[in-house]
Amino acid sequence: MIAHPVPPVRTYVAVWIALIALLLVTLGSAFVPLGALNPAINFAIATAKALLVTWFFMHLRSGHAMLRITAAAGFFWLAILIGLSMTDFAVRY
Amino acid sequence: MTSSVIVARQFDDSDQQRQAADLGIWVFLASEILFFGVLFLAYTVTRLHHPEAFATASRQTDVALGSINTGVLLTSSLTMALAVRATKLGVRRAAIVFLCATAMLGLVFVAIKGTEYRHDYVAGLVPGLRFSFAGPHAGGVELFFGLYFLMTGVHVLHMLVGLGVVGTLAMRAARKAFTPEYFTPVELGGLYWHLVDIVWIFLYPLLYLVSRT
Repeated sequence: MIAHPVPPVRTYVAVWIALIALLLVTLGSAFVPLGALNPAINFAIATAKALLVTWFFMHLRSGHAMLRITAAAGFFWLAILIGLSMTDFAVRY
Repeated sequence: MTSSVIVARQFDDSDQQRQAADLGIWVFLASEILFFGVLFLAYTVTRLHHPEAFATASRQTDVALGSINTGVLLTSSLTMALAVRATKLGVRRAAIVFLCATAMLGLVFVAIKGTEYRHDYVAGLVPGLRFSFAGPHAGGVELFFGLYFLMTGVHVLHMLVGLGVVGTLAMRAARKAFTPEYFTPVELGGLYWHLVDIVWIFLYPLLYLVSRT
């Protein structure tokens, strides 16, 4: 009857605990003066949270490879958009 | 395998139909990444031009409410994931409870965001409407809040769409529309909800945590 296996509840809860922990770390780190490291930490943690959500909540881990490629394509074009814009910015200013 | 799923004639079977739907929503989500991407790019370029102003402006935002809202949205993603899980297992009652919990958390998020907007208005931080921030970086602060309202506004718009989707799913689940073989609308609605969560995950540090030291 059940043709579609699902991860156990504890996997989802563990991911949620990790997400909340990362939120607290990013919030706490913002109050520690680290200079240029502050935005770097914030971005790294946001990326980690996004990966947790896509991998587990959005089932990219268990989904068809085509879905991972499509998701990666979205972020790849975003990287081109921002990356190339930044090279222009770096050269001109 | 006997199946309760109605397969459209262009598909060989229900598996292929479901895979097509999954691929379709992911293509849409990839386009959403780029839709929000230009706003993140505009933010990045403006911040590089006005670093001090962005630090000053970010300190005007309510970091407590912003952080609570992040927690609320992350939790709503958990309940949404559990709703999809319950639907796939055919546990209808749990699916309805989790869908309603997701909608409630979404409403809490929108309500907190509305409270923040009201505070911003009272503090005179709304460009074009009521902006009275004075200081050496007032121009850059105004640019920050222009982007703040544009980005959070478009995000809240997505939240309202998501609330409509989740509410509809809850009603359809109550009418026994979903089975362990047919759960595509719940799965796709969930994916959309999670993407809106991801957008906020990136908005949160960019708007609230620029400079708190």
